[in-house]
Formats: sequence, C-alpha cells, structure tokens
Amino acid sequence: MPSYKLTYFNGRGTAEIVRLVFAAAGTEYEDVRLEQDQWPELKPNTPMGQLPILEMDGTMLCQSNSIARYIAKLAGLAGKTPLDQARVDMVMDGMVDMGNKFAYEIYYEKDEDKKAEKKKDYVEKYVPQFFSSLNKLASDGGYFAGDELTLADIAFYNMVTMVNPYLEQPLSLDGFPNLEKVVDNVTSNPGIAKWLKERPETPY
Amino acid sequence: MAPRYRMIYFNLRARAEPTRLLFAAAGLQYEDVRIRRDTEWPALKPNTPMGQVPVLEVDGVTICQSNAIARYVAKETGLAGKTNLEQAQVDMLVDGMGDLRGKQAAIRKASEDKKDQCKEELAAFAPNFLRRYEELSGPHAGHLVGDSLTWADLEFYDVMTKVLMYLPGIIDNLPKLAKVMDTVPANKGVADWLAKRPETPH
Repeated sequence: MPSYKLTYFNGRGTAEIVRLVFAAAGTEYEDVRLEQDQWPELKPNTPMGQLPILEMDGTMLCQSNSIARYIAKLAGLAGKTPLDQARVDMVMDGMVDMGNKFAYEIYYEKDEDKKAEKKKDYVEKYVPQFFSSLNKLASDGGYFAGDELTLADIAFYNMVTMVNPYLEQPLSLDGFPNLEKVVDNVTSNPGIAKWLKERPETPY
Repeated sequence: MAPRYRMIYFNLRARAEPTRLLFAAAGLQYEDVRIRRDTEWPALKPNTPMGQVPVLEVDGVTICQSNAIARYVAKETGLAGKTNLEQAQVDMLVDGMGDLRGKQAAIRKASEDKKDQCKEELAAFAPNFLRRYEELSGPHAGHLVGDSLTWADLEFYDVMTKVLMYLPGIIDNLPKLAKVMDTVPANKGVADWLAKRPETPH
C-alpha cells in the first residue's frame, strides 16, 4: 500500500474533509501541519501554489475535493454505481457552494451592518431552503447515495460543523429528519468517532 | 427512441458547455434542452434538486451541479481518465480551472465602471496560473492528462477560448497548452458540434 502524506496548515479548513475520509476508510496517513513560516518555501513546489496537497508514490495531488474523492474511491466510499457517484459529487459541490457563500458574503464582508444583514439572510432564508432540498436528497436512513456512508454524508457533516462556530447558534436541523440521521451516521462511524475524539483542537 | 440522457440549461454555453463537448466528443446522443429564463425557469426551479440548472436527467434520476454532471458523462464516455490516479489528476485540473473561469466570467458580470478592474485581475492572475498548468500538463502533447482526450482537455479548451478573447497571446509560449487548443477541435465530434452549436452571448 502506498504511503500517504497530507500537508496543510494546523487547522481543519479545506483539509478536514480529507482527514475525515481517511478516518472513515481506516487508512493510515501522515497528517503534516505546517507553520505559516514554512509555507513560502513549499508553495512553489506544489501543483497550484495551494494547500492541501496529498503526496503518494512520488505523485502530488491538490484540490481538497479531488483528493477526498480519490481516497474515498479507493475505500469504496465514493458511491457504488456511476449514478450514486454522481449523487455524491453533486452533494459535495452543493456543500462547497454553501461554504463559499458564507465565506464571500459574510466572513470576508468588512461592513458590519452588511455582514449582520447577510448573516441573518443566510441563517433564516438560504440555509433552511438549502437544507430542505438536501433533506429530500437524503434517504430516511440518513444517506445521500445508496444505503451506506459515502463522501457526500461526510461532506454535509463537515461543512455544517465548519460554518457553525461563526454563527450565534449552530444551524438547526429541526424539520430535516433525514439530515439529522446523516449526521448520526457520520459521527457514529467508528473511524470518524475516533478521529473526532483525537483530532487536535484548532481555531479553524 | 428517446435518448437516455436529457440535459436542461438556459440557451447559453456557460456551465453546460463542457458537458455538451463531452457528449459531442464521444458521439453520445442526448437531448439538449434549452429553457427560457423568464417563462420556463420559474416553474422548473422548485423541481430541481438544488434550485439550479444545469440538470441531467438519466434513468429516472436528476443530477445537478455542472461538474458532477460533467464527471458522470465523462465516465460514461470513457473521458474521465483511465485509472483512479488519472481521474484524480483530471479532477484537480478541472477544479483549478474554476478559478480561471470565475475571473473571466467576472469581467462579463461586472458593471461598466468595474470591467477594466476585472480585466486587470484576469491579466494578473492568468500568467502564473497557466505557467503552472504547462508544468502540470502530462508528457503527451495535446493532452493534459494521459495520452488521450479527457474532460480536462475539453474544460481547458472551453475556458481558454473565453480567456483568449481578453488575453490573446497568453499561451503562445506555453507549447503543451497551445497544443491542447489544437487537439480538442481536431476531434471530429467536437468539430461538428463547434460548427453547428447555437450562437449564444456566452
């Protein structure tokens, strides 16, 4: 089996989805966390000048979702059929949209009034509508594709828990029973449960 | 018999075009449905998985998110990459191209007084980005990954066609990338599609 080396900063950020997939897959990997002052030297030697990167057998992959999908595929967590894989991909992409919307409209907004207004809109209008769509896409057993845990379920859990610390209260899953089940399925996966207990506490 | 695949989008290239190029390159039949934003979209929107188009309907399932659709069609047409690793490399190159696509689209979307600033941002971003892509491009000239056409080549062709409108000489000194711009339209299915596809603003 190849040796995997994941490099990112000392935070969850865009690397955490990869770490969660490694955990669910039970695959060993080296979890390298750079200090900010180590980054300038590495940056030109990365494929696109960004982290995370995954190194294995002399190859380097970048782009967190591409890395996550690659590891998930090897572990059978990317969807069992081509259509299931497409379902997994569309949910992952939807979660990226949800995260990007938060980042660009709220996190990076400098005007405090606009920021508060956008946050209100996000929590009261956008998220409930998006969760309503996602609840329909998830089965009542709590899976976005097929009847087993996939990368889509992990992506949902990861993005929601990524955004929550920046809000006054965690996003509510009331009225979205399938999504509550998705979260249960993710957090009760033995590999993920172990990782959630052991992972370093970091500001982001 | 109706085609197995039905893609619904507006009458634009935009986010649906890479998938149309995939279908064309493989000669795979599909229904290319183009809806009107004003009269048809409001009724369709609540019946889509995430309130967005494009969507792809296949075997009673509806898939949304343009890259998820494209990756599925790429796999169906054998254009996703031949091994798990090649597929990951295709995926990462397409993901990265999203940034280039975004900077180029920002010009179009910007108000008149902001357009020049957006053009400058593209001009500042593109050279380094493309230099890296030239380095990432595999050893087989004309193909970003592996030795045959993949989704990554089609996506690159689609985005670069637009970028070249603003920065015409930008890949003149990047021979592997320049070769991709030749290889893609040399595919017969793509060439036929490029000749007959509807003219649209973007």
